[in-house]
Amino acid sequence: MNSTTTPWTLFWKQYRIFLHHGLKAELADLERIISPVLFSVTMLLVFSFALGDVDPSMKAKVYLAQTFVTALLALQLSFSRIFEPDRLDRVFDQIRTYPISPTAWFSAKYSLVVLLGSSTLLPTIFFGAFLHQTEKQPLFSWSIVLVGMLGLAGLAAMGVLLATMTLKANSRQLLYPILYFPLTTPVLLAAVNASDLILQEGAINDHSAPWLWLLIGFDVIYTTLGVLLYPELVEEG
Amino acid sequence: MLSVNKVSFGFPHRPILRDFSLTVQKGELVHISGPNGAGKSTLMSLIAGLIPVDRGSITYTDPAGQEVDDRRWWIEYVPAEANGLFPKMNALQNLSFWAKLRGHSQSPKDLEKSLVAELKFWGLSHPLLLGPFPVEKYSTGMKRRLALARLTLSQTPCWLLDEPVYGLDAAATETFRNILDQHLKGGGLAVMISHDLAALKDLSYRKMVLNGDHGETPP
Repeated sequence: MNSTTTPWTLFWKQYRIFLHHGLKAELADLERIISPVLFSVTMLLVFSFALGDVDPSMKAKVYLAQTFVTALLALQLSFSRIFEPDRLDRVFDQIRTYPISPTAWFSAKYSLVVLLGSSTLLPTIFFGAFLHQTEKQPLFSWSIVLVGMLGLAGLAAMGVLLATMTLKANSRQLLYPILYFPLTTPVLLAAVNASDLILQEGAINDHSAPWLWLLIGFDVIYTTLGVLLYPELVEEG
Repeated sequence: MLSVNKVSFGFPHRPILRDFSLTVQKGELVHISGPNGAGKSTLMSLIAGLIPVDRGSITYTDPAGQEVDDRRWWIEYVPAEANGLFPKMNALQNLSFWAKLRGHSQSPKDLEKSLVAELKFWGLSHPLLLGPFPVEKYSTGMKRRLALARLTLSQTPCWLLDEPVYGLDAAATETFRNILDQHLKGGGLAVMISHDLAALKDLSYRKMVLNGDHGETPP
């Protein structure tokens, strides 16, 4: 390491390299971005056709249930493939032989997952609202987008950690969802409750705020766990 | 100087190395041979830092005689069964990633120039290959050449080479020998595993045999 390089400049430099290269790797294989979005749209359409005309009093609840379940499944599909470009040709191991900062690597992966997750989550929220809302009962709200993004922030940290843990497991395809769903359920419940209250009351207020704080709490816990555990996981390989 | 000091490593009920020691000096090439499963590649993984040793230590001492904190700054590893390349990306994107991760801070233009020069050196500078042509479409030998191009770009003094000429044609093997020779003459050191002795032709090296019985046999 250059004697003038501080841990912080090394972190920042490597963070940008990992993020920039990660984006390029994703764009080189567009199927990885498009598949979860198409999955979401298809699921929402199928739900919508299967449910038919929903009682107006239930529309908001159906919208939330449908949208969050769809988003959760689509994100799981997306997260489980986070390390796909690194797994091939032992790129992951090659990176481990380089003088890298695991925190920079985790942070870049996390940012990448949030970016890619948004590309799935946002169309799901928009399209879900579009399918269910009526002129008298608009369902789209930026507050719901905020709740979705807060949920994504927690799920993404957990997604990166679990994907790293199961990277070399032979039963990866089975192990990942088994670990993912129980750990993400609290985030999902908080997101659904907060969104339900926001839709009922028209805005974020004292009733929905505790659920938002809970979501933020999960985000902090999961992201901290990610920062702390990722170096250990990378060391173990 | 690279020092492997009384290193032991094994899996449950399967010891691989026991009290293994090796010192490689500046300008020295050590060729490790031995039967399949003797632990040659495991030894490389241990030195590269991919797996932790059970006992003993591995250290790297810089030219000033100081033991370095993180030996990965000084070592470039070419593994046997893989090339560490992003299959969906082209040659330039791959090399650029590894060069930047090594900490090279050239301007993008200068970096691209040096990468193209390196690709040219390895016979990979056809306009098609410099364009959006993914590495997954390369032949085995071309992928290996691209992985070897990382060696000189890394500017590290210690090279770990596990079957480096696998899949290479005679011309590329010759190119590899030349860069290895220059590396050693320039004060670098290398540890190499190769069943193909053509990779070592005309090079002076120290031979070490891992006998598959958890230790080494003197040559």
